This record gives sequence, structure tokens and C-alpha cells, in this order.
Amino acid sequence: MLPIVVVHGGAGHIPKDRSEMSTAGVCSAARGGYTILRGGGSSMDAVVEAVSILENNPCFNAGCGSVLNIKGEVEMDAIVMDGLTLGSGAVSAVCNIANPIQLARLVMDKTSHSCLTAEGASQFARSMGVPEVSPESLITEYSHMRWAKNLAPDAKPVESQMWKMGTVGAVAVDSEGNIACATSTGGMLNKMEGRVGDTPCIGSGGYADNQVGAVSTTGHGEAIMKVTLARLILFHMEQGQSVEAASDLGLAYMKSRVSGLGGVVSVDPQGRWAARFSSLQMSWAAAQTETLHYGLYAGEHFTQSLGGGPL
Amino acid sequence: MSAVVVVHGGVWAIPEDLAKASVDGVKAAARQGSSVLKGGGSALDAVEAAVRAMEDNPAFNAGHGSALNADGEVELDSIIMDGRTLASGAVASVKNIANTVSLARAVMEKTSHVILTGRGANLFAESIGMATVPADELVTENEWKEWDKQKNYVAGVMEDFNSQWAHDTVGAVAVDSDGNVACATSTGGIRNKMVGRVGDSPIIGSGAYADNLSGAVSCTGHGESILKVTLARLILSHVEQVNGNT
Repeated sequence: MLPIVVVHGGAGHIPKDRSEMSTAGVCSAARGGYTILRGGGSSMDAVVEAVSILENNPCFNAGCGSVLNIKGEVEMDAIVMDGLTLGSGAVSAVCNIANPIQLARLVMDKTSHSCLTAEGASQFARSMGVPEVSPESLITEYSHMRWAKNLAPDAKPVESQMWKMGTVGAVAVDSEGNIACATSTGGMLNKMEGRVGDTPCIGSGGYADNQVGAVSTTGHGEAIMKVTLARLILFHMEQGQSVEAASDLGLAYMKSRVSGLGGVVSVDPQGRWAARFSSLQMSWAAAQTETLHYGLYAGEHFTQSLGGGPL
Repeated sequence: MSAVVVVHGGVWAIPEDLAKASVDGVKAAARQGSSVLKGGGSALDAVEAAVRAMEDNPAFNAGHGSALNADGEVELDSIIMDGRTLASGAVASVKNIANTVSLARAVMEKTSHVILTGRGANLFAESIGMATVPADELVTENEWKEWDKQKNYVAGVMEDFNSQWAHDTVGAVAVDSDGNVACATSTGGIRNKMVGRVGDSPIIGSGAYADNLSGAVSCTGHGESILKVTLARLILSHVEQVNGNT
């Protein structure tokens, strides 16, 4: 059952004309992560690769393609976590870099800290030689159009976002049994400057523990934080719930206690996995034992051999 | 239901000459919180009052008396959480604000967000008319001396817990007469931390967590370790298991 990687491209309501791109994107990310695992690479390498692919893909709300804050700028959050050491690296409100997930990993690997924010995160990026990219290179016509539309006084950005695009993430278990997670986002549409959501908050945007499993979350950030969704799901798994049941319990609790919708990808140390969501859709893909699994709407579960097939 | 407030002023090897100020400080903060509760105030009001008292007290590493980062500046983190609704407000890496716990509360009550960081947090403070204080007003002479001595952060952490160099985070938890719980945590972070370093304090589930169903926790200590185990949430999950309400 090992190795395995599961990725998501956001929970919400993806409009039909974008759903094909979204599915193709997560499949490509799952393939990328799995190639690393199959070559003997670590789960951390795999999740960072998968998420980097999604950050580079302009149709996801991470890296290029990120939603804009109220000022029309991109501010990004990301986290990685290592299930062996419980070490993590996170960045929040970082600007002008292409791959926040890689910067998050540098925080974990090269500093004695777990999280750097705003200007400090940018300073660190420069000190690591991470290339600075122009703000425009991260902004797509689509994200600009959504930002402008939501400036209207009667606009409802949270609903509007839930219905269009979300955070990206991945979980993986490698052949040595080491577990990792990674999550990255441009955050919430038209958010206040400096708004940080669940993504870079350990236990909310993601959590990984070799003894229990890993989760990466997406959905309404403030709701995810209130219930520390990733950690909550893993608590259920610690108590004997299956990956799927634990994920559903966490999502149901978030819906009933704080009226929030979202989705998760989860995995346990044996490689059992789940892609579950309380929103209308979540684009997701998993690669395991030479098979690619993917879906978008609730109940969908397509498979094809990793050796061939359209995706 | 009897109302209670519990406060902490940091965990480290407090030297003799600072011990009295620390103990006096937490007692005063507990009294502040308690008088809010006795007057029928909420758990939220009580934890905010208790933490404000410690932020104003230069003996603690929060607000006045905060530690300095690698650039010799003060960057502050705070969180507050309402156990009834699970609503929370937090600020990270904020400058020139004397009572960041109150700014965190404003994030919770006046915005639809949970955390604001950096410049965005400061802009929000300005927008609600919260006064800024000059940076040097928040820093004690003693802190400048210690910061200077301790330019090397890694050596600093080991010494902090083995000797007497560091101050630490402050926090409070409370339950009011209506049975609502709340928590708050506030800090200047670790001396000589990298610019923009965010520790456990403003991270929900790590620096603090409150839930009417299980209780409230506020943490202090080595931030990066607290984050690894999401300490506040972990403690409450143990309570949940005993209560059987998981």
C-alpha cells in the first residue's frame, strides 16, 4: 500500500468551464509526487513537489493564480510538516515569490523557527537566494476579474470564493513509512491586508505524525481554525476511527459547530487514504500501486493506470 | 458555577531578583481578572483584563518589557478565544502597540477574520483608533543589555531554560458565572528571534484554545515545541476523552 500521495486543489464550487483544468491539474500533481516516491524519494519531497506543481498552475488559488487581497495584491500562506520529527515550516502573508511551499520548507530546514511572516518571511527568502518575482506574474486575469467584482458593496466574497476556488495541498507516506503534509494558498478573496487563514497554522491547515497519519485541509479558513480541523481528524484516528470516518467526523463537526464547509485529504501510516468534503466539490487525486485515482463531485471515484490514460 | 481566573507570567528559571516582581505581577493580574468576574463580567473580559495588566508590567515579556528580535525591534503576538462560539482573534508580528491582546479581541469582534499579521495588523489598529506607542517605550534597559549579550539565538534558547536570561509569554484562562470559558496569550517572543518569527502564541490550538465543552488552556515555554504538539488542543483532547464527548 506504500508509497502513496493524495492531493487536493480546493473545496468549493468549481464552475463547469474550469472543472476539467482543475482535474487535470490535481492529476498532474499526484503524478509528480508519485514519481518522486517511486524513485525512493521522501514523503516531504513528494508533497513539496506536488504542491509546487499546483502553485505553478495558474488555475489554482496558490502561487500563480492566487486570489487578491482587498488592495488587489497577492499575499500567500503555506505550511509543511514532517511526521517523523513533528517539525514544521510555515510562511504567512508572503509576497513576490513563486513557490511559498518551498520557502516554508526552508524555514523548517534552515532556521530554528517554525513560522515566518510578512516582511520577515521576504527577508528570509532573499537571504536564501529565492528569486523575487514581479507581483504581476502571480496575478491572472481571472483572479483580477473576481477581485474587481467583489469590490462592489453588496458583494459577498466568502460565498463567492467558496463557490469558485480554494487552497491546494498534499499528504504522502513514503516507502520508509515517513509521513508528510503540505498546504499552500493565496487565502480568501478580497481579504484584509495581512489576513492569515488556517493554512500556515499547524493543526489547522495541516498536520502530520508518523504515529497517526496526515491531513491537509481546504475550505473556509476561519472555520477550519476554530475547530483546528487537521488535528481534530487525527485525534479521531488516534482513537481508532478509520481515515474516512475520522475525516467525515471532523468535517461534520465544523459544519454543525461553526457552520463552515471544507474538504480534506487524509492518510494513515499504512497508506489508507480518504478525500472527503462537505462542500459541493473538491478536486482531488491520489496515486498508489501504479493507479491514479481522482474525482471532483461527491461520490466520484475514477481510476486509471498510471502507465497510460488521458490524465 | 463559581467563576475562576488563572494566569501565568511565563516559564523559565526566574532569578531571585526578578522573582518577587513576577509573583507580584501575576497576583495583581489575577486580582484584575477576578474583579471583572465578581462584577458579573464575562470570561473574555476577565482574560483580557488580566493579560493587559501583565502587558503593562515591564517584568513580563509582553507589551511593555517585551524581548527584542534580531534587528533590535519589538514584534508582538497575541491571541484571545471565546469558548462559547469558538470565535478567536489574533495578531502576529505587530509593532508599537501596548496592548496587543485588545487588538486581537478587536480582530475577533470587528472583522470576519481570525489572524492579522505585520503591516496589515498595524493598519487595522490605526483604522480602529488604537494608540501607537514609540518602540523604545516598550523596551526596558535590562532587555537592551541582555539582547546585546545574547546575539547568538541558539545559545540563548539553551541558556534560557538552564539559566536565567529569558522572560516569557503571559496568559490567562477563565470561566465566568454563566459557564463560558475564554483564554488569552500575549508575548514579545524569543529574544533575538529572526525578524517576522511567529511562535505558538497567536496560533489557535497551540498558544491557546477555549471550548465551553472541555475547557480553556493558555501555554508558555519554547514556542516551536508547543507548536509541534499543538499543546493547548492536545491537553483539551485528553479532557474530552475523559468526559467522553469526542
